[in-house]
Amino acid sequence: MTTTPTRTRPSASRTRGGIGESVGRPDGVPKVKGEFEYSSDLHVEGMLWGATLRSPHPHANIRSIYTSDAEAMAGVFAVLTHEDVPGRKVYGMEIPDQPVLAWEKVRYQGEAVALVAADHPETARLALGKIRVDYEVLEPVTDAETAMSEDAPKLHLSGNELRRVDVRHGDPEAAAEVVVEGEYEVGMQDQAFLGPESGLAIPDGEGGVDLYISTQWLHVDQDQVAESLDLPPEMVRLTLSGVGGAFGGREDLSMQIHACMLALHTSRPVKMVYGREESFHGHVHRHPAKMRYEHGATRDGKLTYVKANLIFDGGAYASSSNAVCLNAATFACGPYDVPNARIESHMLYTNNPPCGAMRGFGAVQVCFAHEAQMDKLAEKLGMDPVDLRLKNAIEPGMKFPFGQEVPYPAPVREILGRVREIPMPDEQEAMGRDLRELPGGVSNTTHGEGVRRGVGYAVGFKNIGFSAGFDDYSTARISLSIEDGEPVVRVYTAAAEVGQGLVMVQAQIARTELGVENVVVEAADTRTGSAGSTSASRQSYVTGAAVKEACEKVRERIFELVRDEFGESDELAIEDGNIISDGREIAPLMEILDDGEISEIVEFHHRATHPLDENGQGDAHFQFAFAAHRAVVEVDVELGLVRVVEIATTQDVGKVINPKALEGQIEGGIAQGLGLALMEEIRIQDGEIQNASFTDYLIPTILDMPPVKMEILELADPEAPYGLKGVGEPPTIASTPAIVAALRNATAMELGRIPVRPEHIIGIPKKPPDELPQPESSRYSGIGRLEDRRET
Amino acid sequence: MRPYKYVRAQDVDGAVATLAEAPNAAFLAGGTNLVDLMKLEVMTPDMLVDVRRLTSDRVEGLDDGGLRIGAAVPNSVLAADHKIRSRYPALSQALLAGASGQLRNLATTGGNLLQHTRCVYWQDVTTPCNKREPGSGCSAIEGHNKNHAILGASEHCVATHPSDMAVAMAALDAFINVQGPEGERRIPIEELHRLPGDEPQRDTTLQHGELITSVDLPPVEFFSNSKYRKVRERASYAFALVSVAAALDIEDGIVGDVRIALGGVAHKPWRATKAEEALRGEPASEANFRAAADIELEDAQPLRDNAFKVPLARNVITRTLLDLSEEGR
Repeated sequence: MTTTPTRTRPSASRTRGGIGESVGRPDGVPKVKGEFEYSSDLHVEGMLWGATLRSPHPHANIRSIYTSDAEAMAGVFAVLTHEDVPGRKVYGMEIPDQPVLAWEKVRYQGEAVALVAADHPETARLALGKIRVDYEVLEPVTDAETAMSEDAPKLHLSGNELRRVDVRHGDPEAAAEVVVEGEYEVGMQDQAFLGPESGLAIPDGEGGVDLYISTQWLHVDQDQVAESLDLPPEMVRLTLSGVGGAFGGREDLSMQIHACMLALHTSRPVKMVYGREESFHGHVHRHPAKMRYEHGATRDGKLTYVKANLIFDGGAYASSSNAVCLNAATFACGPYDVPNARIESHMLYTNNPPCGAMRGFGAVQVCFAHEAQMDKLAEKLGMDPVDLRLKNAIEPGMKFPFGQEVPYPAPVREILGRVREIPMPDEQEAMGRDLRELPGGVSNTTHGEGVRRGVGYAVGFKNIGFSAGFDDYSTARISLSIEDGEPVVRVYTAAAEVGQGLVMVQAQIARTELGVENVVVEAADTRTGSAGSTSASRQSYVTGAAVKEACEKVRERIFELVRDEFGESDELAIEDGNIISDGREIAPLMEILDDGEISEIVEFHHRATHPLDENGQGDAHFQFAFAAHRAVVEVDVELGLVRVVEIATTQDVGKVINPKALEGQIEGGIAQGLGLALMEEIRIQDGEIQNASFTDYLIPTILDMPPVKMEILELADPEAPYGLKGVGEPPTIASTPAIVAALRNATAMELGRIPVRPEHIIGIPKKPPDELPQPESSRYSGIGRLEDRRET
Repeated sequence: MRPYKYVRAQDVDGAVATLAEAPNAAFLAGGTNLVDLMKLEVMTPDMLVDVRRLTSDRVEGLDDGGLRIGAAVPNSVLAADHKIRSRYPALSQALLAGASGQLRNLATTGGNLLQHTRCVYWQDVTTPCNKREPGSGCSAIEGHNKNHAILGASEHCVATHPSDMAVAMAALDAFINVQGPEGERRIPIEELHRLPGDEPQRDTTLQHGELITSVDLPPVEFFSNSKYRKVRERASYAFALVSVAAALDIEDGIVGDVRIALGGVAHKPWRATKAEEALRGEPASEANFRAAADIELEDAQPLRDNAFKVPLARNVITRTLLDLSEEGR
C-alpha cells in the first residue's frame, strides 16, 4: 500500500490516550445508565414551558390569528405571533426564506404560527387550542415535477425552482456502443434521532439571553437568533446542551428563536421540548429524489458518457437544499472516469415538509442510482459488476466530471478489490436454522422455505466539509496550566458533540501534541469563536486541525521557556508531563510552568474551494472520502422478507484516530443505510405526514442489523491533520445500493425505488432456475436459488 | 391529552356500576393502547376506572380440562405459561410476536382483546374518519392503505385489528367471559369483534360498562399442534402486514380438523372458516392448502396499496399448514 508519511512529531509515545487509541467516551456510561443530561432534561426554578401552534394545512392563506382567549387563560404568560418577532422575521442557513412565525401564508403542514408560554406544559398545550387561526385553504403543490410546470402556483416570489445545477463535461453528443437507461426513486428518510428538539432560554435581565440548546452549530444558530431578536450577537449566548443525535436534522433552527422570544417577553426562563410527532414536523428530512439516468459504454466496458436528470423535492423552505443540489450534481456519475457527462440537478419548492441536511447530503440519492446503473450495464455487457467498476474507477490526477482534479488519495480501485476479497459469510442450510438467522427473524415466519441468497456491491464517495467557496473554519483555544500539582490541558471550542465522539478526538489530539494525559474538553459555547458545523464529516478534520495547531503553538512556547532556562539546543519533546531531549528527561512541565498558564487560540481554515461555473465546473470540494460495500442478503420471496446476512466494507480514513469510535461510525452509518434500503420512509399524502411516530416510521432494530466486516485503509491525505479523512458519512452512502443490488441478485427484480419493503417483493413469479440471471463471474457460484445449491 | 378523572374501583361490581353511570368513562387496565390514543386525543374519556387489580391475574384449569385466563394476566406472563406453551403454542407465539417486552409486561389479556383497530387516519384527528366521526367519510379508502383490510371491510371503514393475541384466540375457539350492568355473559370470540358495516365506530359487541373478566380456552387436543406466523417490515416491534394462527389435526395424511385465523387483513381477527371447511377430510397437501387459502381469499377486495396481502396471506397460510402437517404427523 502506498502511504504518504505524515509529519513526524517530536513527542509523546508514552502519553496514554493519544491518537490511535480506543479512548472511551466520557459520556458513554452516563448515557447507558440513563444519567446523561440531555437538553430535554434541563430545568431551572421558575421556568415556564413554551409550546408551538402549527399549521394543520400544507398550503393556506392566513386571514387572521385571534389570541385573546389563550391570553386570558390562567397560567398563560405570553401568546406570540409574527407581530412579536423583534427583528428579521425570517431565518435560514443559506437563504433566509422561512418565517420565524408564519404570516399571510403557510407553506407546509406543521409550520409554526404562534407560541405560548405557560406555567405547565399542559396549560401551554391547552392554550394552543384556544388560539383561533382563520385559514383559507389552498391547493398544495405536493410533487416536485408538478412544481416545475409553468402553471403551478408560485410558492415563493423567486418561483418554484430553488436551485438548478448543470454539469456539462466533454462532448454532449458522444455516442456509445452500449446504452442502459434507468429511472430511480428515493423516498423521504428521517434522521430519526432519539432526543427531540429541546432547549432552555434564560433572560439575563439586561435585554440579552442565554440559550442552552442541542444543535450542530452554535454560531450559525447564534447569528440567526440574534438577527431575529434584533440583538447584537454578544447578547445572545449559546451553550451546547446534551445532544441526543443529529445526523443533519439539527443544522436548521427549530425552537431556538421561539424560546428566546418567549423568555425575553416574559422575563422568565422558558423551556421547550418537542414531542415525537412534533419533532417529525420540527426538523428537515432527507430529500426525496426522482432520477433518470442514461449510461453509455464501449463494448469492452469503458464508460463513454453519463446523462442524468435529477429532481429533488426541497419542500417548503430552502434549508440547505442549495448545497444538496450541488453535491448531487457533482457526485452524480459516481467515483468513475467519465469522459462525457450532462447532469441536470433540479431542486424544487413544494408544499411538502422542508428537506435539508442528512448524513450523506445529496450523495446518497445519486449513489443509489449510479450504482444500479453500473450493475445494469455490467449485466448488459456480461461483465462482473465489480470488474466493470474496477475498469472505470477514478484515480488521482484524473478529472472529475465537474472539472476538479482528483486529489490523492482516491483509492477506489483498492477498496473495491479489497472488499471483494473479504471472505464471504458461510451459508448454512436454510431449513432448520435458528429463527434469528432467517428472514423475518423471531416473527417465526420463515423456516427456510423459498429463501434465496443474493450478493451486491457498491462504491460511493463524498466531499468532506463545506464546499463551493464557503469559508469553512474552526476555532480552538488550548490552555495548559498546573492544577493541584499536575499539568492540565483545557480545550475550548464551540464544536458540537452530537454523539459522534469529537470530545474524545479533541482530547486525544491534545494528549498527543502536548504529552499531557489530563485533558479536559470544556463545554462548547459561543464564548469561543465558531467551530463550524458538526456535519459533512468535517469536525475531526477542521476542529481537529484547530486543536492540533493551537497545541503546537502552546508546545512551542514551552520549548522556548525550556531553551531559555536550560540552554537546550536539541530537539525537544513532551512525554507524560516531562520535557524530553535526546531521550533524557530534562524537567517536569510543572517546573517550567510554575503557576503560569499558557494559552493559544487558532482559527484554522482549510484550503479554499470555489463555486462551480455555469457549466458546473470548478474546484468545489477540498477532500473526498470513499467507501465500498458488499451486501449479502437472503430473501424469502414468498413472504417478501429480507434478512441482511452481512455487510462487508472497506473505507479509506487516512488515519485512524479512535478505532472503537470509527467502528461505531461505520456500523451506525450502515444501519442508517440499511434503513433507507429496506424500511425507512416518511409517507406523505397531499402534503401531510402519515407516520409521524416511531410506531409507524420504522427504523432498523438490533435484530435487523447484520454483522459488519470492515477493512480500514490509512492512506494519508497530505493536507489533513495526521492525514485523516472524515468518516461519518461514507458508510451510509454505498451501503444502501449494495443491499438493493443484493436483493436484485436474489430476486431478478428491478427494484428501482427505495425503500424496498415486503409488498415490493411478494409475488415474484416462480421462475425456473435457468431463467434467473446467471452472472458469469465465478464469484456468484453457489449463490442463487436454494434448490440450485441443493443439487450441487 | 384532555383532563380526566381517575377512579380506582374496589371490585368488579363497583367498576361496572361506576362506568354504567358515566357515559364517557372508560376502563383502564395496562393502558398501553388507551393512553396512547388519549395522547392523540382520538379517545377523550372524561373518567378512567382502573380495573387492573380487579380481575384474576392467573391461568387456571377448568373442570372440562380447558384453561381460564384471568383478564388481568399480563401478556408476558401468559406467553411464558407452561400450559399455554405446551397445549396452545400458537397463543404463546402470537403474544411474543407482539409489541415489546416492556409493553407485554404492562398489557393485559382483557386489554389486548380490546385494542382498537389501527388506521393512521383514525389517529390523525385532523382528517375525516367515520370511526371517529360517523358520517364524515373514510380517508383511507383513497389514502395510504397499504396496511388496511382486504376482507370484510365496508365503504365506511377499512381499518384492521392490530392484535396478535386475539388472532390466536380466534383460531383456538376462545370464549370471553364478561360482566356488565345486566349481569354476566359468555361470548364466543368470533362474536366479540365486529366488522365495520355501517357502524364503524363500534369495534366490539360489548356494551358500555361491560368488563372482560376472563378468557376460556377449550380442551381440544390438537390445539397443541398450532402455530402463529407474522409477517412484518422489520424483525421486531412492528404490526403485522399479515399473520396467521392455525391448528391442524391430521390422521393418516388426511385433515381431521383445522382452525385458521388471519391477522392484518380485516377489522377483526379473521376466522378463515371457508378454508377450514374446504380442508376437512381432504389430504394434507400443499396443493390443497393453497387451494383452501384461495377459497378463503376469493372474497378479498384489495385497495390501491394492499393487493400484495392476497398472495402474502395465501403463502403464509400454506406455509403454516405445511409446517403443522409435518410436525403433527
